[in-house]
Amino acid sequence: MSARLKALLLVLPLIVFLGLFFLWPLWMMIATAVQGGTVRLAFPQTATAIASWDGAGPPPASLQAALVRDLRTDTPQERFGDAVRTLNSQQAGFRTLLPRTARAVREAGEADAFDLVALDPRWSEQGYWLALKRSMPAYTDANLLAAVDLKRNDEARIEPVEPDFAVNRAIMLRTFVIAGQVTLLCGAIGLPFAMLAASVTGWKRNALLIAVLLPLWTSLLVRTAAWLILLQDTGLINQTLRALGLIETPLSLIYNRTGVLIAMTHVLLPLMVLPIYASLIAIPRNLMPAAAALGAAPLQAFRYVLLPLAMPGLLSGSLLVFMVALGYYITPALTGGAGDQMISSVIAFYATGTANWGMAGALGLFLLVPTTVLYILYGRLSRTPLVQT
Amino acid sequence: MRDLDPFIHFEAISKVFGTVTVVDALDFHVARGEFVSLLGPSGSGKTTLLMMLAGFEAPSGGRIHVDGRRVEHLPPYKREMGVVFQNYALFPHMTIAENVGFPLKMRGVARAEREAKVKRALDLVRLRHLADRRPSQLSGGQQQRIALSRALVYEPKVVLMDEPLSALDKQLREHMQLEIRALHRELGLTVIFVTHDQGEALTMSDRVAVLNRGKIEQFDTPSGLYDRPRTRFVAEFIGETNLLAGRVAQRQGEAATVVLASGGSVTCDRAGPFETDSEVMVSVRPEMLHLVPDAAAPNALPVTVEDHVYHGDHIRLHLAFGESRLVARAGRRDAAPPIGSTAFASFAPGDCALVAP
Amino acid sequence: MSSVSRPGGAAFNAVRLAFAALAVAFLLLPLVAILPLAFTDSVFLVYPISGPSLRWFGALAESQAWTRAIVNSLIIGSGATVVATVVGTLAALGLRRELLPFSGLLRSVFLLPMVVPAVVLGVGMQILYARMGLASSYLGVIIAHAVLCVPFVLVNVASALASIDPALERAAASLGASPVKVFRGVTLPLAMPGILTGAVFAFATSLDEVVITLFVAGPNQTTLARQMFSSLRENISPAIAAAAFIIMILTFALLLAVKGASLLQGLRKKQRVQPSEA
Repeated sequence: MSARLKALLLVLPLIVFLGLFFLWPLWMMIATAVQGGTVRLAFPQTATAIASWDGAGPPPASLQAALVRDLRTDTPQERFGDAVRTLNSQQAGFRTLLPRTARAVREAGEADAFDLVALDPRWSEQGYWLALKRSMPAYTDANLLAAVDLKRNDEARIEPVEPDFAVNRAIMLRTFVIAGQVTLLCGAIGLPFAMLAASVTGWKRNALLIAVLLPLWTSLLVRTAAWLILLQDTGLINQTLRALGLIETPLSLIYNRTGVLIAMTHVLLPLMVLPIYASLIAIPRNLMPAAAALGAAPLQAFRYVLLPLAMPGLLSGSLLVFMVALGYYITPALTGGAGDQMISSVIAFYATGTANWGMAGALGLFLLVPTTVLYILYGRLSRTPLVQT
Repeated sequence: MRDLDPFIHFEAISKVFGTVTVVDALDFHVARGEFVSLLGPSGSGKTTLLMMLAGFEAPSGGRIHVDGRRVEHLPPYKREMGVVFQNYALFPHMTIAENVGFPLKMRGVARAEREAKVKRALDLVRLRHLADRRPSQLSGGQQQRIALSRALVYEPKVVLMDEPLSALDKQLREHMQLEIRALHRELGLTVIFVTHDQGEALTMSDRVAVLNRGKIEQFDTPSGLYDRPRTRFVAEFIGETNLLAGRVAQRQGEAATVVLASGGSVTCDRAGPFETDSEVMVSVRPEMLHLVPDAAAPNALPVTVEDHVYHGDHIRLHLAFGESRLVARAGRRDAAPPIGSTAFASFAPGDCALVAP
Repeated sequence: MSSVSRPGGAAFNAVRLAFAALAVAFLLLPLVAILPLAFTDSVFLVYPISGPSLRWFGALAESQAWTRAIVNSLIIGSGATVVATVVGTLAALGLRRELLPFSGLLRSVFLLPMVVPAVVLGVGMQILYARMGLASSYLGVIIAHAVLCVPFVLVNVASALASIDPALERAAASLGASPVKVFRGVTLPLAMPGILTGAVFAFATSLDEVVITLFVAGPNQTTLARQMFSSLRENISPAIAAAAFIIMILTFALLLAVKGASLLQGLRKKQRVQPSEA
């Protein structure tokens, strides 16, 4: 057996595993976001059959049979309800027609043919079938547009949604702003910290590195819970400040932006420190003395020698922190207020709260794309591994 | 002249790391325009001495004067010295021109003047055509010359070099030795050069300070060190030598007669400070030792020839003299006595030195 | 060259020291602050602790929701660790010699689960599982966690493999060992620390996972982290500190077991090297 084939066989299980349970779910999410909506989901066979009907003549028998088959299958109640609502908004009358038909179809059992028109004459009207066809296009941009607060009006022109419903853009902007703020904070603390760790030796260096690694090894949830406890009105921080006489009433540090920024900075700081540290210790030991000997004062040596050489680390650390921060859910959910939730929480709301997977998928796409782009950029720029052990 | 112009003056300078004294109360002067090497084995304190002069180590005691000014409390960037580091320490993120221009930029020299000076400094090492390259694109020898040109570009008072040639191969090293010497003469530089390579020190320097365990064993010209070593350490560290243990039997002015432990006695013209009856070592360089057939020659020692070793340009003869082993150097055309034969090894009274055992 | 200690200003050193102290406090305070609260006898998560007590561990033990969650975490964590360790190790071995075309691309894709926002993957998995009938099943949760754990195994095993001197394997082969014996006798033992570290990181990742669990687990598969998340949202009681204590102890014990072993090895190596360095 050739070495190459052996290598392939070894890698194959992971390819299959991640293909099946990682790439496919992502693909399904994207597909759900652009597929023709709730009606299509509730009536999959009808959707296939109606695609070959041009809408001019009467609906063929095969289309009617497909609808009957769809009605006979056990569609979840919510999905069926969603579909009915969508259809009714296209053509009034579906609200009564569909439940009635569904009931009749099920009662009729598996009998070969079922005459829809005989049950309800409305099934002979072209308008109902056309509404059905209009409601199940193969692909739709409705979810993607809605994700950025746009919609198509009756003339199929793109226009903004009513201001009251336009919240997604603001939340996306907020997500990027919070991720940016956290990245800046991590850089502001992480760069001097990494410089310090790289400039000392022996136990001092070990102590500083352990101080970075311990949080990294500690559960995210535990760290967030700890900040919750520390930052609350009766928490250690407020207690200490009050004991020192610095404040009279407790500062509100939690369930607001301050809490989110503190907790997220703490959680992500190691991801900033470690790449910077790695690039700093790679600097040949005699460069800084050389700069000093050639006349560079400490600040000049920092500006012209240390900073440019630490830049790759700073850049990959920043990319990493920003990229990870974009997708944060748990920490803002626990330490933030209503006005500090990030895009992830909106996605979670659509997916678990209302089972609107189309919207969840569309918003997810707007999160997945920037993350992937940043990851590719990171791969190009960085030679430090993603996981520090 | 040297003593009139003590350009660099170390005064009782010492450095202690924990309980280890690395530099032990040294006193010495370097004159303006002089090329001085600090030579010694690793751990002798030569690099620490240089680092104190450059400002990277604070002395534990003593003073350093440069051009009449005390410098030991100045940070490195205010000492105005050009330093060439081991492994060159070129900045990898800058071009060659930026590297060489760096000291000028730090001193706020205007761009136009900077560029002119960088060109001149690169011309000095004949590498102007590499100005836009990065250090990683250069060979070791080229990097070395760039480091040199960077240290010279702002015309510092003193140039310090910390084993600058140790990373180069032998041929290139010898070439660079000549080049640095030529620059030193041409520019009238004062150079302090740290090395552990005695050949390098002898080739390049006006004077060499031989350091051992934080102390100066001898501070002398190259020929002074080689021909008139004052200590056993110097005799053994510089070049190769034969050491014969003995006791001073009699002094006649500068000369002395030494009774050897292995038998016989020899006369030496330079007896140094040793009085009658003191234990000494007679140091004789191998090339000063000649094989002669009869005992009438001066300082003739009866020896047995043990081996010949061929070295291309010369032959080394290993000799047994009683319990001692001697080495003599013979020209390749000299007829060497066969192995196992006996002869006499002789040296002139002017070709030996007495050192403490 | 001896160590370079520049004579620096005392004020500068004071600033450095103050910054180091503040930064270390910021990093470690939360970790240190939460642990003692697990042993409070008060019903509030506040300092000072009025008296030491194990009542909140008792509360955890008595609550069916918490005990169930702990058991679930152990089941799911072990399952995910086994799956991730097996496929991850195999893949690391396959990628080792860069024989496959697109090795670099494959590696990047394999690390993606660490980068893709958990919520995004959660949505996709929820849709997929609804279709496959894996929703609200242990298998589903184990698979989902394993996806997240694989990168940690891959990275650790790959770096362990990369540090093996190929000369050792060639030496073994030249001494008469068949490829299988070389693998079992040389490669595997040398890669074992990496595999174990990867497995521990995998377990720790699963133990800490909340988001995907929210999407794919049913009420029966509630994990410790998931249970903690909901209690943090609903009623903050010292039971959370007790649960956090359990999570931290579990993670650190495992990490120390693996890291400690390799650290000791490193120290021993260092001691052997040191004399020749002087």
